[in-house]
Amino acid sequence: MDATSHSFKRNVHARLGDEALQANLRRFGGGFADRRRDAVGRVDDFEALRDRASEIRAEVLTHLDHWLLAFEAEATRRGTAVHWAETGAEANQILLGIARAAGVQRVIKSKSMVSEESGLNAVLGAAGIEVTETDLGEYILQLADEPPSHIIAPAIHKSRDEVSALFAEHHGTPLTRDIPALCEEARQHLRPRFLQADMGVSGGNFLIAETGSVAIVTNEGNGRMVTTLPRVHVAITGIEKVLPTLDDLSAILRVLPRSATGQDITNYVSVLTGTRDAGADDGPEQNHVILVDNGRSRLLGGALHDALRCIRCGACMNHCPVYQNIGGHAYGWVYPGPIGAILTPAFLGLEKALDLPQASTLCAACEVVCPVRIPLPELMRTLREQEMEQGLRPWHERLSIRLWRWLALHPALYAVATRWGIRVLRWLAGKDGQVHRLPGLDGWTEGRDMPAPQGSTFRDQWRTQLAAREAQGKARAAATPVAMAAAGAARSKAP
Amino acid sequence: MRIGFFVTCLVDAVRPRIGFASIQLLEAAGCTVEVPAAQTCCGQPGFNSGDRASGTRLAQVFLEQFESFDAVVAPSGSCVAMIRDYPGLFADQPALAERLQRLVSRTHELLDFLTHHAPQPLPAGALPLRATYHDSCSGLRNLGIKHQPRQLLATCDGVDLCEMRDAEICCGFGGSFSVKLGEIATRMADNKCNHALATQPDAILGGDLGCLLNIEGRLRRRGDQRTQVLHVAEVLAAGQLAASGELPAPGQFVGMPVTTKD
Amino acid sequence: MSTARDRILARVRSGLGTRAGEVPDRPVRSPAPLARPVHDRVTDFRQRAESLQSTVDHVDEMDAVPLAVARYLAGLPPVTNGMVVWPELAALDWAGAGLAVEARSALSADQVGITGVCCAIAETGTLLLDSGPGHSATASLLPETHIAVVPVAVILERMEEAFAQVLARRGELPRAVNFISGPSRTADIEQTIVIGAHGPRRVHIVLVG
Repeated sequence: MDATSHSFKRNVHARLGDEALQANLRRFGGGFADRRRDAVGRVDDFEALRDRASEIRAEVLTHLDHWLLAFEAEATRRGTAVHWAETGAEANQILLGIARAAGVQRVIKSKSMVSEESGLNAVLGAAGIEVTETDLGEYILQLADEPPSHIIAPAIHKSRDEVSALFAEHHGTPLTRDIPALCEEARQHLRPRFLQADMGVSGGNFLIAETGSVAIVTNEGNGRMVTTLPRVHVAITGIEKVLPTLDDLSAILRVLPRSATGQDITNYVSVLTGTRDAGADDGPEQNHVILVDNGRSRLLGGALHDALRCIRCGACMNHCPVYQNIGGHAYGWVYPGPIGAILTPAFLGLEKALDLPQASTLCAACEVVCPVRIPLPELMRTLREQEMEQGLRPWHERLSIRLWRWLALHPALYAVATRWGIRVLRWLAGKDGQVHRLPGLDGWTEGRDMPAPQGSTFRDQWRTQLAAREAQGKARAAATPVAMAAAGAARSKAP
Repeated sequence: MRIGFFVTCLVDAVRPRIGFASIQLLEAAGCTVEVPAAQTCCGQPGFNSGDRASGTRLAQVFLEQFESFDAVVAPSGSCVAMIRDYPGLFADQPALAERLQRLVSRTHELLDFLTHHAPQPLPAGALPLRATYHDSCSGLRNLGIKHQPRQLLATCDGVDLCEMRDAEICCGFGGSFSVKLGEIATRMADNKCNHALATQPDAILGGDLGCLLNIEGRLRRRGDQRTQVLHVAEVLAAGQLAASGELPAPGQFVGMPVTTKD
Repeated sequence: MSTARDRILARVRSGLGTRAGEVPDRPVRSPAPLARPVHDRVTDFRQRAESLQSTVDHVDEMDAVPLAVARYLAGLPPVTNGMVVWPELAALDWAGAGLAVEARSALSADQVGITGVCCAIAETGTLLLDSGPGHSATASLLPETHIAVVPVAVILERMEEAFAQVLARRGELPRAVNFISGPSRTADIEQTIVIGAHGPRRVHIVLVG
């Protein structure tokens, strides 16, 4: 997928000014957080579940090579062909090779974020193979020719009217505002595609080393169709998705749906191993797994290692106030929100996504909900350090931080600088005590005033008062400035 | 109890009366307060911008300035959260990390200190004020400050605290974020103002001046010159004075910036 | 010539500082905590299945299943297309209950799929269907109505037990182990939950025993 993460600020400006998008974000954004809170509220001790899930994911990563090989050995034994791809492009070529060898003409897909990384659909399309996305959200976006804006609710940025307009255009059906009717229309439209496809392409939520299985989690049932009906199934997934055992999967599934959609359990969890059972009359004749690196292995053992624990629940973006205001497309690549602010620079290169690690107030709303306890704010701060160390921040920013740090290490000079700063701000302030424009800090004053300092510094005033206290032997000298607040408060009560 | 008061850069420069209010409250809670003169900054602005040395170097300054006190108190959850992170920055210097750990474990945010660690509870205050409280992120999520301001405000007779929607959602300050990505910060501040104003408050309260400046800055730009934006300490201190009959007559004090246009 | 596999593994090992052939020591853990305690397997299963919009009936013995199914179907629009059943259930007296069932895997036009289960899970109200000869996966997927016959003896506490049971019974996992928790659904348009996305619109569970 082509990235626009380098032009984040421009993306943000466009999204903040997009009234329709803003209305959609406001209307649909908060639901996930509420539903997660309710789901967690139904659990005895959700923190214990998070602990277990985090331990499991952390432990797998420390010996990822072992677990990948264990998975490969068992999957192979069960008749699954395991392929390794260093890049997204390589994964596409492998998949295309499988499709060509099997004479595939029609592909149905369930959701796969890794295939978004690799831009698979375009490659298949160019090779003359018809691809149909079957997750409802992904299907809508395929019609709209847009990337997903959320990892579990890809079309959350679209209203029913926009969906209806797309359906009208592509299905030739009348417009409707009835959401169940729109879902029914997609069902009717996609059912024949499921039945006619030669190949199903899915993601893989998890790989189970113990059994060589791929675990797929969906609500719509499309994941089951994609992996049951066509004669070839290919799962395409990241190398970090492996879990040692089925018990580990069980433990992780206690946190994944609750964190994602606020469900106690996702409708369908399919654990798929090998090809069609002997004597059975459904299931694919060929089963493939493509293990995709695409930048992941570089993170192992490094400062961003913990980001690979991610189980793609989307809770971080559902709780991120930045994401909630700008939507997913502004981030400019596959993964939005806090995890995207880490993975995008990590996978594409820091220089391609300079603003993303800065796109957070470090409010930690993501960290407290992450089911595998990824220290997201800490990782964003680490990337900021890397930007600084690699000289990727603007020179004036680097210089001003150095200068500021130097001053802060010299208290007398810091006090002088503070006094001067106060003077400048008071001089710039209007009669209302607000600075309306602050050269160099336009980022603030474009949308907000800057309340001007009250007078001299606290420490200067304190020194004076301390002297007065000592002179009077009385400890109430501090009363006056405080009382101003009370006076102001009392006045505002007056009619 | 001998307290070293860490005033924090913003309070020192922009709103000293929060510092005075804090000291008044600490004294009322039975503490002896000192203000080390050579204190500067906790290092957070640089540290969160990617300059690790801002954290490590200023951690050592903090240690020198405050190690001798029984406890350290600051009127900011965000600065205290930064300070609490100091020991982790010295994984390669265990002795220093250990010394820092001892100091940071007795370093408290003001409202938390007054609620849980002060020698005696605050005397009851009185102040007629309809207010709503914004939970600042660092205090809330790093220090667990949630009930403390509410409990303290409840001791102030006449303070009518109305909870706003999404009180726990970030106001958009985020230090350098508020300048680097000002457009998003402004939108977030706008949301915060909308939710706060929906409670029809006289004052929007908080425990971190960064957030308060962000919220006030947006309010004033929107043309609201009436709603005050105050630190909880300011309200509590005023309440204490009012309860003891020392509240000066309205209008006596010139220089309340937010009300000069009335 | 090195392959992509070699290069990926080499990078993984160099990042982690692991060596080929090194086997990790996994700590032995107590069973993972349950999300919600199970007090009574049957009651809890029923309650939680219903909370997932499955409907639940309870009969005393297998012979009563066809009548229970007929009773349930009588409340739905009439079945005009096929009604398929897993072969292991075909011997029940469906005709006696006025139902014309066929023991085969399901086609898209079939309206009702009647299946057994491998087991069920009380913690979440979930059914587990294993694939294999006679266990058509399409029967629980393509028809609009999925009816599952669940002997109460197969209701287990948790997912871990369900996996253990499948492995114990079959030695290894079948091609597909499908956990089913209610009718298919989507919330992809305006976060509005709509039941009946691509799979069944109804899941009806007949508990037996």
